[in-house]
Amino acid sequence: MSLFKARDWWSAALGEGEEFDQGCICVGDVDNSGTGHDKVVVGSYMGMLRIFFPHTGKSSEPGQGAAEAQLLEVQLQNAIIQVEVGKFVSCSELLHLAVLHPRKLSVYSVSGTAGNVEHGDQYQLKLVYEHNLQRTACNMTYGTFGGVTGHHSLCIQSMDGMLMFFEQDSYSFGRFLPGFLLPGPLIYNPRTDSFLTVSSARQLESYKYETLAVATEAESRQDPDMPLKTGGKRLMPDWTLVLGEQALDLSIPSFSHSSSSIFVLGERNFYCLRDNGMIRFMKKLEFNPSCFLPYASVIDGATNLLLGNHTNMLLVYQDVTLKWAAQLPFVPVAVRVANFPDLKGVVVSLSSDGHLLCSYMGTDPSFFSMPKVDAREADYEQVDAEMKKLQRFIREATKTQDILPQTDAEEDLTVTAIVSPIMDDPSQALITDINGLPVHSVTVQVKVKASCIVQSSKLTVGVQPPLAVTQDQFVLEPMGVGSSTVVAFSAFLNGRYPPADLTGDITLSYNSPTGVPRVLQARFSLPLALVSVPASPTKTTKFKITVDTNQPPVDLNSIFPEFSAKSEDKDGNSLAFQFLSGAKVTVLASKTSQRYRIQSDSFEDMWLVVKELVQRFDLHFPKLGVKDFKKSFSGPIPLQEYFLSVDHHFQLRVSAQQYQDLLSERAVQFRAIQRRLLTRFKDKTPAPLQNLDTLLDATYSQVMALAEAAEENRALLEEAFVRLRSATHLLVLLMTLWQGLTPDQSAILEATLLPLLQDTPQLGWEESCDAAVSHLLRSCLSRSPKDQATSLAQAGGPVLGLPRDTARLKKHITLMCDRIGKGGRLTLASEANVQVPAQVQNLAAPGGVETIAEVTGDGEEPDLPPETTKFIKKKQPSKKVKKDKDSKEKKEVSKEPSESSVKEEAGGAGETVKEAKKEKKESSKEKKESKSSKEPKDEAKKESKKESSSTSSSSKEKKESSKEKKKDKEKEGKETGKESGDKKVAKKSSVKVKEKKKETEAAEA
Amino acid sequence: MEVTMDPLFLAWSYFRRRKLQQCSDICTKILQDNPYDQAAWSLKTRALTEMVYIDEVEVDQEGIAEMMLDESSIAQVARPGTSLRLPGTSQGGGPTPAVRPVTQSGRPITGFVRPSTQSGRPGTMEQAIKTPRTASTARPVTSASGRFIRLGTVSVHESASMLTNPDGPFINLSRLNLAKYSQKPSLSRTLFEFIFHHENDVKNALDLAAQATEHAQFKDWWWKVQLGKCYYRLGLYREAEKQFRSALNHQAVVDTYLYLAKVYQRLDQPITALSLFKQGLDQFPGEVTLLTGIARIHEEMNNIASATEYYKDVLKQDNTHVEAIACIGSNHFYTDQPEIALRFYRRLLQMGVYNCQLYNNLGLCCFYAQQYDMTLSSFERAMALVSSDEEQADVWYNIGQVAVGIGDLALAYQCFKLALAFNNDHAEAYNNLAVLELRKGRIEQSKAFLQTAASLAPHMYEPHFNLSILYEKIGDLQNSYTAAQKSEDAFPEHVDTQQLLKQLRQHFAVL
Repeated sequence: MSLFKARDWWSAALGEGEEFDQGCICVGDVDNSGTGHDKVVVGSYMGMLRIFFPHTGKSSEPGQGAAEAQLLEVQLQNAIIQVEVGKFVSCSELLHLAVLHPRKLSVYSVSGTAGNVEHGDQYQLKLVYEHNLQRTACNMTYGTFGGVTGHHSLCIQSMDGMLMFFEQDSYSFGRFLPGFLLPGPLIYNPRTDSFLTVSSARQLESYKYETLAVATEAESRQDPDMPLKTGGKRLMPDWTLVLGEQALDLSIPSFSHSSSSIFVLGERNFYCLRDNGMIRFMKKLEFNPSCFLPYASVIDGATNLLLGNHTNMLLVYQDVTLKWAAQLPFVPVAVRVANFPDLKGVVVSLSSDGHLLCSYMGTDPSFFSMPKVDAREADYEQVDAEMKKLQRFIREATKTQDILPQTDAEEDLTVTAIVSPIMDDPSQALITDINGLPVHSVTVQVKVKASCIVQSSKLTVGVQPPLAVTQDQFVLEPMGVGSSTVVAFSAFLNGRYPPADLTGDITLSYNSPTGVPRVLQARFSLPLALVSVPASPTKTTKFKITVDTNQPPVDLNSIFPEFSAKSEDKDGNSLAFQFLSGAKVTVLASKTSQRYRIQSDSFEDMWLVVKELVQRFDLHFPKLGVKDFKKSFSGPIPLQEYFLSVDHHFQLRVSAQQYQDLLSERAVQFRAIQRRLLTRFKDKTPAPLQNLDTLLDATYSQVMALAEAAEENRALLEEAFVRLRSATHLLVLLMTLWQGLTPDQSAILEATLLPLLQDTPQLGWEESCDAAVSHLLRSCLSRSPKDQATSLAQAGGPVLGLPRDTARLKKHITLMCDRIGKGGRLTLASEANVQVPAQVQNLAAPGGVETIAEVTGDGEEPDLPPETTKFIKKKQPSKKVKKDKDSKEKKEVSKEPSESSVKEEAGGAGETVKEAKKEKKESSKEKKESKSSKEPKDEAKKESKKESSSTSSSSKEKKESSKEKKKDKEKEGKETGKESGDKKVAKKSSVKVKEKKKETEAAEA
Repeated sequence: MEVTMDPLFLAWSYFRRRKLQQCSDICTKILQDNPYDQAAWSLKTRALTEMVYIDEVEVDQEGIAEMMLDESSIAQVARPGTSLRLPGTSQGGGPTPAVRPVTQSGRPITGFVRPSTQSGRPGTMEQAIKTPRTASTARPVTSASGRFIRLGTVSVHESASMLTNPDGPFINLSRLNLAKYSQKPSLSRTLFEFIFHHENDVKNALDLAAQATEHAQFKDWWWKVQLGKCYYRLGLYREAEKQFRSALNHQAVVDTYLYLAKVYQRLDQPITALSLFKQGLDQFPGEVTLLTGIARIHEEMNNIASATEYYKDVLKQDNTHVEAIACIGSNHFYTDQPEIALRFYRRLLQMGVYNCQLYNNLGLCCFYAQQYDMTLSSFERAMALVSSDEEQADVWYNIGQVAVGIGDLALAYQCFKLALAFNNDHAEAYNNLAVLELRKGRIEQSKAFLQTAASLAPHMYEPHFNLSILYEKIGDLQNSYTAAQKSEDAFPEHVDTQQLLKQLRQHFAVL
C-alpha cells in the first residue's frame, strides 16, 4: 500500500533464468578509480559475474543503457553465492573483489584501462588467489579481525556450522559453532571484535574473536557434538539474546554517531540492539520483510533504514517511524545504497530473478490502473425504451409475486369438506362397541383445489374430544395450477360420553409462490347418527324442555329421516335418540299445539338433539315456503339442572387440586427418604438402614397410586368439561330462544359463558366465566347504581384462580339470566364508556371498539375497515401524516447502517437550515393535528355516551354517583357476599372430608 | 551453464526468499536420501509452518461455544466505562445512533472489518445465532477451533501430497518423543511452531512448551509466551496471564504486550488492557500495533473521540496504515464531514486498496459532498467488484439511499427491493421500504415490513419508532406505546421517541 512508487533511474534485466539471493550484490569502487563513485557487482547462482557502472547516458533507451553501463561480464565455473569488496590482498590498500563459490573462495582484482573513445574503456578481472574449501560454504563476512588495521580478513560459514578464517591468502583456523543446525546470517562487529550470528535456537549469539582463536581446533575432532578431549577451551558465546524467530539479516552500520547499534531483521520484527545485547528498540512488522539496509540519517542519533518486503514495497524508517513508502516492481532480495557520478544516494535493489534497479524516492504516484467497468454507451432512446419495458415487467411482477402481495380476493386454494352420508362399513372406530351398541365411523373427504402453484402444504384436522379421526395430519404433494387433491379420513367417537360439538376444523397451511406462508380454514359437521342410534321413546324422564313454534307441528320422521327407521310411532310425533354413551333423548311433537318437547334423563345430552332439531327446523320451514318461522322457549331457564353439571365439574377440579397437593407432598417425602438413604450409602462406615427401604417402597407405591388416581380424575374432568360445554351450549340456545336474541347477542353470550375451549389447572372455566359474566353485569346489564353495587361487590383480585366455591358464579349467572329476562340487551357499543374490570385486562387500552371486542373473547383481529375509513374520512390529517413520514423517513434514511452508510441532509448548509425549519413547522403542525385528532375522538366518546345512556340509563348515573357511595356499597356487598360464601363453604367442607377419606384409602391401597 | 549447488543450501536460500513450496520439495528429496538429516527436517518444518502462519495476535474469534458456555462469572453489572460487554453510553461525545449506526451489541459501526469487530457478547443464545449482518464476517463462528482446524487440515493434506509415501502427515505427533526434542534448543522452537500453527494441536504444543521451559530453567521468555499462547487457546486466561507477565519480566517484547492485552480484553478488563498498552508504549514508543490496540479498545468502548486521536497517532508513525485511515474516514463521514472522509477514502484508493466496500463508501461520500458526477460511477464500480450477495445488497441499499436523496422514490423502491432480493435479512432495507410503502398508503404492507425489520434487528431503533408512529396514526395507541418503548430501549436519547411517548402518556391519562 503506497502512494508513490520508486522512481526508476536506471534498470537492467540480468540474464535469463538466473537466480540471485541476498549476497549476490555488492557496491563499491571495485576498480579503484579513485573518484569515489561506486560500481555495482552482481554475481548469480549460475556463475555469471557482472559489474555495472550505471549512468544516464544520452541514449535513454533501457536496453542500450544496460549495455553501456556494463563494465564486465564473466562466466565463472561455479555458482556465486556471495561477492564482497574489500582490502583482501596483503600489502595493498586497493580494493579487491572476493567471490564466494560453494567450494571455493576467489579474490580478484578488477582494473580498467581508459580507451580513446567513450565506450572504449576496457576492464579486466585478474585472479589474485583462491582457496578450495573442504566444506560447502554458506556465507561470509569480512573485517579487521583481531584489530589489525589496513587490511580485511575473511570468515566463511559453512553449511554445517564451521567458521573458517582466512587472513589474506592464508588459512588461519576453523571453528565449529556449538549447537549448530542451520546457518544463520553472520556479521563481524569491529567495535567489540566479535562475530554475531542467529542460531537455530533462535537466539542472537556473539562470539569474541579471541575466544574463537583459543577454542578447540575444528580439525582435531571429527564430531562437533562430542566433548573435546585435548587442549583448547570449549567455545562459548559471549552473550546471547533470545529473539524467538529466525533472522533474515544482520547489519552493523559503521557510521560514527550510531556507534553502538546492531540491527537484526527477523521474520516478524526488527530489532536494534546495543553492543552488549540489550534491545534499544524494536518494531513489529505487519508484513514479511525480505531485506534491509541501515544507513546514516540526517538527524543525529537516529538511524535510517531501508526495508524491502514481500508486497513489493520499499519502506524507509527513521528508527521506528515510517518516513516513506515506495512501490517497487518486484520483491527485492537485496538492497544497497550507492553513489554514482550523476546522482548520489541511489537505491540499488536486486530481485530474485535478476532485475537490477537503481531508483530514487520521488512523488511519482504508483498508478494503479483500475479495470474498466463495462459501461455501455448510453443511447438514451434505447435505454429509455428498455427502461419502460422493464418497468412494465416490474409492475406486472409486483402484482403477482411481490414480497408481500396485496391480499387478493381470490384464494390460491379452495378447501371443501364432504361428510359422507352413510356410515363406514366396517367401522374404523377404536372402541368397537359401547354398552352393546356398535360405534360407527363416518368418512370425511377433503378436496383441495389449487388455482396456482402451491408447495409444501399441510392439512390438519381437529375435532373436539371425545371424537377422534383416523389421521389428523396430512402432508400434501406440491400442486400445479388447477390440480386438486383429495384426502379422506374417518371420524368416530372415542370416548364413553357424547361430545359437546359435532363440528370439526380443517386447517391448511401452505406457502404462496413467493414464499409467504398462508393459512386456510374450513369446517365440517358430523352427523348426529355418529354418536347416537334410534331408539324407542320413553315417557318418563327427569329433564324436559319445550320449544314453541308458530307453525303447525311437522312429522318428526320427515325431519329426522335417518332415525325414523326404528320408530314404532307412525304418526311421527315422537322420536328417540339413544346416545352411545347411554342417555336416551326423546323428542315429542305435540299433536295439537305447536310445541315440541325434548326430554331425557341427562340434561347435557339434550343439547345435541335440541341443536339438531332447531337447525333442521330452520332448514325445513323455509323449504316449505314459510317465511316468518319463529321458535321460542317459554322458560323458565333450567338453571338448576345446569348448575348440577357446573358443580360436578367444579368438584372434579377441586379434587384434581387435592390430588396434586397430595402428590407433591408424597414426592417431597420420597425425596427426603432418598436423601437419607443416599447419605447412609455414602457413609464409609455402613449404618443400618432402619427400615428406610421399606418406607421408600411404600412411598413409591403411594405416589404411583396417587398418580393413577389423578390420571383417572383428569379423564373424568375432561368428560365433565365436555358435558359442561354441552350444558352451556344448551343454556345459550335456550336463552336465545327464550328472549329471541339476535345472532350477535347470542355470540356475546356464548363468548361470555364459554370463554375457554380447554380447561387447565391454572385457569379453569369457573373463574374465567365468572369474570366474563360479572363484566357483563357491570357493563351492559347493569341497570342502576344500586344493582351494580351489589353485583360488583365481589370484584375478584387481579389474578384469576380457582374459586372456593361456585356460589358466586351461580349467583352471577342467575342474575344475568334475570337481567336478560327483564330485557337487558347484550351490546358492546355501550361498553365504550364503562371501565373495563381490572382483572380482565390489566393494560386496558382505552377507547377503540376493537380492543373491547378482544376482551370479550371474540378472538378476531380488530377489524381493518375502521382504520382505513378513518384515514379516508380524515383526509386532511392523513396527508399530513404522509408529510410527517416524509421527514421521518428522511431522518431514518440518514441513519441507516451499512458498513459504509449514510448521513443525509442532501442539500448544502442553506438547505439544511430550511429543512430544519420545515421540520419544525411540521412538528408544530403535527401537534395541532394531534389536538384536532383528539377532538373528534372526544366527540365520538360523547356520542357513545349518549347512546349508552339511552340504551341503559345507568352509565351517566354511574358517573355522577360519588365514589364514596360506591365504596360504601361495595363494602356492604362484600360483607353479605362473604356471609353467603361462608355458609356454602360449610356445606362443602363435609364433602371434602369425604373425598379425602377416599383418597387416603386409595393411597393406602 | 548448469552449475551444481548443494541442495540444502538451495533450500535454505529458497526459504529465505519465501519460495516455501520449492524449499519444502527439496527438503523432501534430501530426507528421502537421508531420513535422519536434522537440518533438512528442521527446514522443512519451518517451511510448512510458514505456509500456514497467521499472527496469533490477530486471531481472535470467540466461538459461539466460548461465548455461551463461559463459566467464569464476571460482574453482571459493570461500572460504566469499565467493561466491553455493556455498550456503555458514549463518553467522548461520539455520534449518537441517530447519526452513526450501531452493531447488534450497541457499538457504533467501525470503519474496518477485523476479526473481532463483532465482539461484545450476545446476551442470549438466540441473539448469538441471529446474525448481525452489517459486517460480512459477522456470522458467528461455530467454534474457534473449527477455523484453525480447517486451516490445519488443508495444509496437512498438502504436506501429505508432497511426501513420497503419502500415507501420513509429515510429522506423526503421537510418535514424537517430546521430552527428547524439548532438550534440543535448536529443534524445539521450530517443532513447537509446527505443532501449534500447522498441526493446531494445542495440547501437544503445551506439553512441549512446558518441558522446554523447564529445560531452560524457566529463564527463557519465549517459551513462556508460547505457554501463554497455548493456555489462551485452551481458555485458561488466568494461567496465560501469569505466563505473559512472567515473560515480560524477563524481556519486554511487543508481542508479549499484545498477547497480554488480548487476554485482558477477553477477561473483559479493557482498562487494564489500556494501561498495559501504555506501559508497552513507554517501552517501545511509537509502536504502531500498540497504538492500534488502544484505538480499537476505545472504539469498542464507544469512545470514538479518543479512538480517533489514537488512530491519528498511528498515522503519525505509519501513514500507510489502512485500518487507521479507514476508521478516521468513517468517523469523519458520520460526523457530517463527507468531504474529509472522501479524502481519506481517496487516499486508500491511491494506495491500491481496491474493493467493493471502498467504492461503496466513496460513492456515498461523493453524494453527500455533492460531487454527484462521481456518485453513480463509484457505485457502478462497487457493483462490478462485488464478491458476495451481502455486499451486493449493501450497494443496492446505498443506491436506494441516494435515490431517496434525489427524490426518485420509484428508483429507491426498486433498489431496496433489490437489496432484499440479494440479502433477505437486510433490516434497514425493510425499514426504508416500509416508509416508502407508507407513502403509497399501503399501511398493511408497511406494517408488515416494519415488523420484519424490528424482528431482524432489534438493536435498531428506527423500525420501532416508525412502527410506533404508524400505530399512533391508525389509532392503535397500545401497540404504539409498546413500539415506542422498544425504540426508547434501543436509543434512549432519541428526542422524537420521547416526545411520542409523552404524547401517548398524555392520551392515556386523558382516557
